[in-house]
Amino acid sequence: MRSTVVLTEVRNGLRRNLGLTVAVILTVLVAGVLGGLSFLLHEQVNVMKSYWYDKVEISVYLCGTDSVAPSCLGPNGTAQAVTDAQRRQIKADLLSLPQVKEVYYESKADAYKHFEEQFKGSPIAASAPPDSLPESFRVKLKDPKTFAAVTGAFTGRSGVEEVQDERQLLDKLFSALNGIQRGGLIIAALMVVSALLLIANTIRVAAFTRRRETGIMRLVGASNLSIQLPFLLESVVAAMLGALLAGGLLAALKAFLIDGILAPSFQFTPFFGWDSLWKAGALVLIASMLIAASASMVTLRRYLRI
Amino acid sequence: MIRFDNVTKLYPSQVRPAVDEVTLEIDKGEFVFLVGASGSGKSTLLRLMLREERPTGGSVHVLGKDLNRLSAWKVPALRRQMGTVFQDFRLLPNKSVFENVAFALEVIGKPRHTIAQVVPEVLELVGLAGKEGRRPDELSGGEQQRVAIARAFANRPLLLIADEPTGNLDPATSVGIMRLLDRINRTGTTVVMATHDAAIVDQMRKRVIELEGGHLVRDQSRGVYGYSR
Repeated sequence: MRSTVVLTEVRNGLRRNLGLTVAVILTVLVAGVLGGLSFLLHEQVNVMKSYWYDKVEISVYLCGTDSVAPSCLGPNGTAQAVTDAQRRQIKADLLSLPQVKEVYYESKADAYKHFEEQFKGSPIAASAPPDSLPESFRVKLKDPKTFAAVTGAFTGRSGVEEVQDERQLLDKLFSALNGIQRGGLIIAALMVVSALLLIANTIRVAAFTRRRETGIMRLVGASNLSIQLPFLLESVVAAMLGALLAGGLLAALKAFLIDGILAPSFQFTPFFGWDSLWKAGALVLIASMLIAASASMVTLRRYLRI
Repeated sequence: MIRFDNVTKLYPSQVRPAVDEVTLEIDKGEFVFLVGASGSGKSTLLRLMLREERPTGGSVHVLGKDLNRLSAWKVPALRRQMGTVFQDFRLLPNKSVFENVAFALEVIGKPRHTIAQVVPEVLELVGLAGKEGRRPDELSGGEQQRVAIARAFANRPLLLIADEPTGNLDPATSVGIMRLLDRINRTGTTVVMATHDAAIVDQMRKRVIELEGGHLVRDQSRGVYGYSR
């Protein structure tokens, strides 16, 4: 069959079945946005991981006068700041551990400076008094997984308020983000199922309304391909439109929400780039066209028997 | 051209076969009437020739092909050599006369210039010259059937299968349709026509094959519709 004939059939078919076509487009749109968002969230976690895992370390916070940990309390029950001797000894002991790569000291003043940098322009920066942040040793490990050796040796030691593995904090954040991503994927999967059923039903209706045409095509000896191709292309075109709209929405989200609002306000952390967005768009487009094509083929086999 | 060897067709969930052990042969260029009461198996026989149904037993050969062994993807090529006409015309109501005939050629991939040449020729042949732009609902029943015949004949088939083509037409119009089918037969096309119309069969004096309850009960060259009717 000539391609112009096929295209005319596809256009007529889409127009005749407009309501259902719009439903397919919208369902694919929602599924595509959800699926794309999950992918982008996954990309975001990866970007943050590679950025932060290099920077994180174990923090050994030292006691200050306002500490509440038992290891900081003096004999009279009030908090005592770490002494110079304790500080020297802790540093020496940290360096003696075989897992430790390097140790550096962050004073209260340094801590406040970093804090101010991170939250520049945010009201949080103004809210903290300069003295409120504890001094600490920052420990980089040769292998970040061996943090238990350090926490075990220094937790509860006098002069040490708390040993914190920042990686664990990050992992908590990442697992929360992963949870959201998985939830998004599940909802997207449900939307895919409804898109599948909707496409199948659309083709069933289309096959019924065009049974005269297809009956004649069969009788005059049109090939299976030329009978089924218009139906297949119709659903693929509808899915493609939905996917393109979904891609547009994701791009708008990236341009206005991420680049426009989030990135300027949260400069301390990186965000996924446009390359991730292109990947998400391509993924949504290919997946939705494949889904539409396979749903069509299964349905056509059933309703357009030759 | 067509050969049935001991062909039986039993539809699922039925006890009595629609066609029971039928053996017959139709040669190239013949004009054959298929007669019999409703439910005698005429339509099933035609559907077996078109490979719309497959026999439960026996073998069907059409145009040199054993339909039992013909793979599904070769069926369209077979059907391109056959034309079909039905009682209910089966025209597309939203297409003009020209477009209805052209559609049959478009969907089997005929190039545009061939279609532009063939369609007026075949419409001229069936006597519809000048009515190319009409819609089916602007035509009489006889004219609609002529469009259907034009569509069936446009690809110059070797075999024309007609299932009660005059069933919806008055006697005078039917005569016109029969003349047309006779003319097509004279071009060398084999015609197999199932019918209830005794007057037509008696008048044409062609070969008559009669079915009764799925059995072949009469095969007579230059026959009439029936003995007792």
